[in-house]
Amino acid sequence: MHFLRFSVRQSLQGLWRNRVMNIAATVTMILMLLMLAALVILISGVESGLEYVESKVEVTAELHDGVLEERIAELQTRVEALAEVASVTYTSKEEALAAFLAARKAEGQDTSVYTGLNNPLPAYLTVELRNPRESGAVTEILRAETGLVRFVPDQQTGIDKLVSLTSQLRNLGVVVLGFAGLTVLLIVINSIRMALMARAQEIEIMRLVGASDRYVRWPFILEGVFIGITGAVITLLLLLVASPPISDLASDIAGSVPLGFDSSLTLQIMGIVLGAGLGLGGLGAWISVRTYLR
Amino acid sequence: MRLEGVTKTYPNGKQALIEVDLVIPEGDFIFLVGPSGAGKSTLIKLLVRDEKASEGRVEVAGHDLGRMKKRDVPRLRRRIGIVFQDFRLLPRKTVYENVAFALEVTGTPRKLMDPAVVRALALVGLTEQARQRPNELSGGEQQRTAIARAMVHDPRLIIADEPTGNLDPLISWEIIQLLLRINEMGTTVMMATHDAEVVTALRRRVVALEDGRVVRDEVGGYHREY
Repeated sequence: MHFLRFSVRQSLQGLWRNRVMNIAATVTMILMLLMLAALVILISGVESGLEYVESKVEVTAELHDGVLEERIAELQTRVEALAEVASVTYTSKEEALAAFLAARKAEGQDTSVYTGLNNPLPAYLTVELRNPRESGAVTEILRAETGLVRFVPDQQTGIDKLVSLTSQLRNLGVVVLGFAGLTVLLIVINSIRMALMARAQEIEIMRLVGASDRYVRWPFILEGVFIGITGAVITLLLLLVASPPISDLASDIAGSVPLGFDSSLTLQIMGIVLGAGLGLGGLGAWISVRTYLR
Repeated sequence: MRLEGVTKTYPNGKQALIEVDLVIPEGDFIFLVGPSGAGKSTLIKLLVRDEKASEGRVEVAGHDLGRMKKRDVPRLRRRIGIVFQDFRLLPRKTVYENVAFALEVTGTPRKLMDPAVVRALALVGLTEQARQRPNELSGGEQQRTAIARAMVHDPRLIIADEPTGNLDPLISWEIIQLLLRINEMGTTVMMATHDAEVVTALRRRVVALEDGRVVRDEVGGYHREY
């Protein structure tokens, strides 16, 4: 208790005496933590978007006009038997047209302009998959049926692009964060080194009168920890202020896609920001104490 | 306190002490004399385990310092009070706080601190000046503060490295008198000094170092030859 009170008081005094450097360290810490939080939000947003899109993946096979119904039924049974397929639905030309007209009507369009025209829409099979990532095999099988199937739009490439974009984003983020983290670490190390130098005389006296190492070291490590915690708390406050507009912006962009900006993400961000601030502050101070305190 | 065949060679190859044998019984008062660079400071550093002997054995209060673990060093230093020529007081702290600091950083419970500080200040006669800062004190008062700080742990040994080096003769005498009184109370005192007049007048045990060797160890004056 005595030790704790002593360490806290010494480190607060140290923070005050060396305040310009410590403010610089804290501000850098805040910038880095904001970047970290932004990256977490961005990646989590893209990932939940991706999940949503993937869950909607179904393979559609447009059919040639005028093929025999038995052949279509036979293909349907065969595809349904595949392990990765959940269900196969047949939509006739007429049903396709009806659905198309209903959709236009729902948009408030005048559907009378379509009457009297030949139905240009193909009949099609809709294949629901058990695992959205495994659309490749089904697509291949359907495409092989050239006599029946006219066209199978490629779903997988779009998803692959999105997946690779996410992982690239993550990699880039990790690299940028790595550099930012290193900068913060170096600044904390330097800040604590200044504190050590400013207190060289005090440290010497402490050693001469027989202070144990923890009394000498912990005030400085606590200084680093305080810088980290202050940075993290300010970062979280800034995020709190900024989160409603960010949420609005996100839903504007994504529309109906549910972005995972919920309480679990908030907790996650709080944990990551606090952990990173505390970790970097403490680590930097520890390195400094180990390096500059013989 | 006992040194047996102690040699100290610094990494740069300089031999600061060569084959030094020295026994200081508890309760002794000894002067350590010799020109600058003779090895006085090195001897003091060995006694507080600031440095380790390259060869030989250094023993303080029954502890072999060569074998002492690093984490046991603070406990040793609490049994030795050190006083320097340049006082080494903390300028932002009052006299009281400077003395209390030595207890505070060694984890002394608060309720034991105040009586010990008051006692140490009374011993050196600075009770009145307790609330002043070092820059408001005379040189002699500053050194007395440093002695109070050295005494606050009730050490068995006081090492004073040129404690009168920065003080005028009259004030120097005050400090010597104080160290003598501390010695009379049972604390061993070792005082390194250049002050020939003091050494000669007191007729105490004198250990003379030259070029790292003990060249003389007897009761008497500063320089035998002259």
